[in-house]
Amino acid sequence: MPSADDEISRQALTLASRLDDTVSPILISGVYAPGAFARSLREVIDQRAPSAVLAPGTDRGNEVLAHLAAMLDTPMAANCVSITLGDPATVTRIRWGGSLLEDARLHGSPLLATVAPHAVTAEPAELELTQLAPSEDGAVTVAEHIPTSSSGVSLADADVVVSGGRGVGSAEGFAVIEELAALLGGAVGCSRAVTSAGWRPHTDQVGQTGTKISPEIYIACGISGATQHLAGCKGAKKLLAINPDAEASIYASADYAVIGDLHEVVPAISAEIRKARGA
Amino acid sequence: MLGAAVLVSGGLFAHRVRALVSLLSDAQPVSRSGHVQRRVRNEATVVLGQSKLLSRLGPGLAHAFIFWGFLVLLPTIVIAMIGVVDRTATLPWLGHQGWYALLVDIFAVLVLAGILAALWIRKIQRPRRFEGSHLGEADLILALIATIATTLLLWHATRIALGLNEWPRAWSPVSYALSHLFGTDHVTRVLERVFVWAHVLTILAFLAYLPRSKHLHIFIAAVNVWFGRTGPGGRLEPLDFEADDADIRFGSGNAADLTFKEVLDTFSCTECGRCQDACPAFGTGKVLSPKLLIMGLRDQVLAQEESALVPDAVPDQSVWDCVTCGACVEVCPVSIEHVDQIVDLRRHLVMVESSFPAEAEPMLRDIERASNPWGRAQSERAEWAADLGVRLLEPGDPAPEYLYWVGCASSFDERARRTAQSTATLLKSAGIDFAILGPREACTGDPARRIGNEYLFQAFAEQNVAVMNEAEVTKIIASCPHCFNTLANEYPDFGGRYEVIHHSELLAQLVRDGRLAPTQGGHAITYHDSCYLARHNDVLEGPRELVAAVGRPVEMARARKNTFCCGAGGAHMWMEERGGSINLERVHEAADTGADTLAVACPFCTVMLDDGVQSAGEKMRVVDVATLLAERIDDDAVARPGERPT
Amino acid sequence: MNILVCCKRVPLTGGKIVLTEDARAISTRHLGFTVSPHEECGAEEAVRLVEQLGGSSTVLTLGPPEAEEQLRDMMAIGVDRAVHLVTGAEEWDPQATAAAIVDAIAAEPEPYDLLLFGNESADAGNYQVPLRVAYALGLPCVTGVKGLAVHDGHVRCEQEVQDGRDVYEVAMPAVVTVKEGLNLPRYPSVPGRLRAKRKPVDTSTPVRQESRLEMVRLHLPPGSGKQVEVLGRGPDAAPAVVGVLRELGLV
Repeated sequence: MPSADDEISRQALTLASRLDDTVSPILISGVYAPGAFARSLREVIDQRAPSAVLAPGTDRGNEVLAHLAAMLDTPMAANCVSITLGDPATVTRIRWGGSLLEDARLHGSPLLATVAPHAVTAEPAELELTQLAPSEDGAVTVAEHIPTSSSGVSLADADVVVSGGRGVGSAEGFAVIEELAALLGGAVGCSRAVTSAGWRPHTDQVGQTGTKISPEIYIACGISGATQHLAGCKGAKKLLAINPDAEASIYASADYAVIGDLHEVVPAISAEIRKARGA
Repeated sequence: MLGAAVLVSGGLFAHRVRALVSLLSDAQPVSRSGHVQRRVRNEATVVLGQSKLLSRLGPGLAHAFIFWGFLVLLPTIVIAMIGVVDRTATLPWLGHQGWYALLVDIFAVLVLAGILAALWIRKIQRPRRFEGSHLGEADLILALIATIATTLLLWHATRIALGLNEWPRAWSPVSYALSHLFGTDHVTRVLERVFVWAHVLTILAFLAYLPRSKHLHIFIAAVNVWFGRTGPGGRLEPLDFEADDADIRFGSGNAADLTFKEVLDTFSCTECGRCQDACPAFGTGKVLSPKLLIMGLRDQVLAQEESALVPDAVPDQSVWDCVTCGACVEVCPVSIEHVDQIVDLRRHLVMVESSFPAEAEPMLRDIERASNPWGRAQSERAEWAADLGVRLLEPGDPAPEYLYWVGCASSFDERARRTAQSTATLLKSAGIDFAILGPREACTGDPARRIGNEYLFQAFAEQNVAVMNEAEVTKIIASCPHCFNTLANEYPDFGGRYEVIHHSELLAQLVRDGRLAPTQGGHAITYHDSCYLARHNDVLEGPRELVAAVGRPVEMARARKNTFCCGAGGAHMWMEERGGSINLERVHEAADTGADTLAVACPFCTVMLDDGVQSAGEKMRVVDVATLLAERIDDDAVARPGERPT
Repeated sequence: MNILVCCKRVPLTGGKIVLTEDARAISTRHLGFTVSPHEECGAEEAVRLVEQLGGSSTVLTLGPPEAEEQLRDMMAIGVDRAVHLVTGAEEWDPQATAAAIVDAIAAEPEPYDLLLFGNESADAGNYQVPLRVAYALGLPCVTGVKGLAVHDGHVRCEQEVQDGRDVYEVAMPAVVTVKEGLNLPRYPSVPGRLRAKRKPVDTSTPVRQESRLEMVRLHLPPGSGKQVEVLGRGPDAAPAVVGVLRELGLV
């Protein structure tokens, strides 16, 4: 595995443990060199002949496994939520960022698959870790690292994300969203329509092609709930939707709903929080 | 000497006129032929009758006196010229008519009265509409006209004093009274010469100066009114994308792109500022002034500059401030078509430069890709009708009597959806045979067209016309005035000819016929006219009948064709408002009536005014006339759809 | 600079996905189509690079005849020409797709300096076609790029990582996969659209390899099973919202 120290990798490991008794977690470290990572994995495959190679369904996991699949000319299934070994192996994988599932057969060996984030709950495992530290890629060199300039909470890591959609109405309208996010120590997000309208930068965009988030609570204000957006906030533990349209599709995915205009509801929540803290 | 003066003046005049004519003949062609009767009628009412000017009685009368005076006194120019050459000669016949002498006296005085009133307005009242106008130029012209009228009277007075007068003096009361100032001596003989020369030379100076000033309108206004639009105000002129590439006109990028009528518009402007006064954008502190916009274009045309009209002649922001409400066009005394000018500027910016407010881009992309400006799935378009038993017109189905064109707003917006539900329920209970297109109904293209994307609009116009013609649609009920305007006035240009009726008018008809019998509620209701219904399409009575049927109507100060926009037109539903809030201003006006209900007949007005009521902290209820009616229909009647109440 | 950008026609799904009766595709009867957002940024970047450095850009797609609409869209924003690998309605698996693209590239008269792909397609999200193409052509590949610059035969690629951006250098020719946010794609001008109608589209019909990632059927994910709890309407709901936040330990 390219990385074993994060939640998604532990989820992948949990799913792997359910497939087979013999699971060897591999931690690959070193500077960015997915091609070299894949070559070192190929050596492990040659030595141990595993029935399956799984990786976390992160950008890096998908990338390294795709290198391996291309190298071996073997099929690969990205972002699986369930896997059954066999010939052919069958998987269920996500499409459209999780809005749709696909049952598929893989004709090739070993089975190459990545595990969709949050497909299973990670269970603790006591397994011996193999560490690989391949040399650099050669073709792609790492030139530099530009650290993030903003000091605020990053969208991907925030425990609270307050997001605004088309319903916010203007760039200035985000003041109430920012206020609530600040009160809760959270980050501000937005939908794709907002980015296209130029109200917020793309770095704030939550969605299939923006940032995928996994906060404790996601507060979606004036967001109708297009699949593109929902794909980015599936990781949220709780979803509170504030929308004037009781029929909005966001409610189908929400835990809590406030039916109303965000420009009235959000300031009222901020005021209530201040009151609660003041008391 | 007179000959030389006439030659100089005439030469200067002709030189300038030739330049203006060549600018006009180089302009882009536009079809403004036919409808001769209508054009003659416009000349009679707007020009001769001064109808637009007289809508403001004070300044209107002042202008009318000067204008009518100008017409009456025209022959005196010839009479005076003859008088310069031979003080004993005059125009055959007319120069001897007593009644004409009386007219001359009366109108010379009226002209002077008009000038005094104009000076009072300009110097004492100083209304805001003159902000940005060339005030010095106006003063000079008023002074010239005053001189012409005064010298005329004084000339006549000296003639009477000298006994030269051909006209019986009894017919010239004012000149006669003035004649007592003068004796019969040599001084008067000299003064007679001085006045007639002063009169003639002032006229000749005026003639040379006119085409170089905003008073060009004296000649051009009547021409501009003649070429004014004769069809519905809401229709925009289509562009031809089938033409050869080099010949396609993408709106107005520089002065050479302006059409004949647009150039004529700029020459006609007198900078009176009535448009600016009526403009909701200007009135709420935005950059746009329709007057300054036309003046900017005129300066660019006259300078024969090749640079971009935006931002060189017109600030970029002012182009986007316009809500296309047409208030400026409605009040313009010389038939300038500001909205067409602005849309043409937008067309170039959107279609050629891809330069427009960023927040409107999702709307354009969503219309193009998702067939509605909110990017919602078309498959969800008929969800508002889920439990209402409304017939969905599938391909091959027999045509209903009416197609109910719901529109995107009433299909998807939660507040506007109620209107569609009320309308459908009422139509069913009145036994009307109607159906909806559901997912096959796409955006009419109105917001795309109004923001300047004519290309996208035409694609949707063609698609919708094809769907409706294939379904053999003949009559359409539209609940959105913007859809109404597009379907009724603009789709005929794309082969879609339908009888289109707004839901308020059909419902009013059904009430009149007793097929819907509402009970009177007695509430004070003020009705807000939608620009695209009232001003652009003359739909005034239907909604009012409905309001009167269920409540007590109270009119706002600005009503009917004089209505004030809600702020959503011209694609502003999808743009940010820069400056004050148009909807707030309208809500305050509505609240001043004391009504507890603000009735509307447009989904955009519903949303904008409801937002306005909330931000103003008012308690008024904003509701569509269809919903008002539905609420006052006996539930039993509604529960038995299809059956007519007896 | 000779740049290839690959894109895929995908439906605009809106709020709910409805499947066809055989459950092998999304019902697109009333849906519009687009290319994946990542790929739109790829096309914009190709156009900008050619505007800046000269050369030519080509857009390639593998898809049904209707996908020509997306090729014209990309040419409307300035891509010079298109290659259309025409398929039937059924989607191809990643290996078959990559093989057809590799054959098409090999058949091109001029080699490409830069091959741009979206990081993953919006619909299938297989994350592998660009890498398979890169391996088959023996080219290096950088993925998930949100900043791109070309200098001295090299591409400088910025990739977003947890605490900022990593910058990689790779010699051309190279394969780069990009993500939305790389740029803001321009709104197509109408003269651009009209020109796009006349730009050349080379079509060919590739032979489909057998699917090795074989789609059996599609299905919608089971509902979360959670029932939405309406906390109230309008500002009066604020205390109830704060109650929820308190339960989560946020207030």
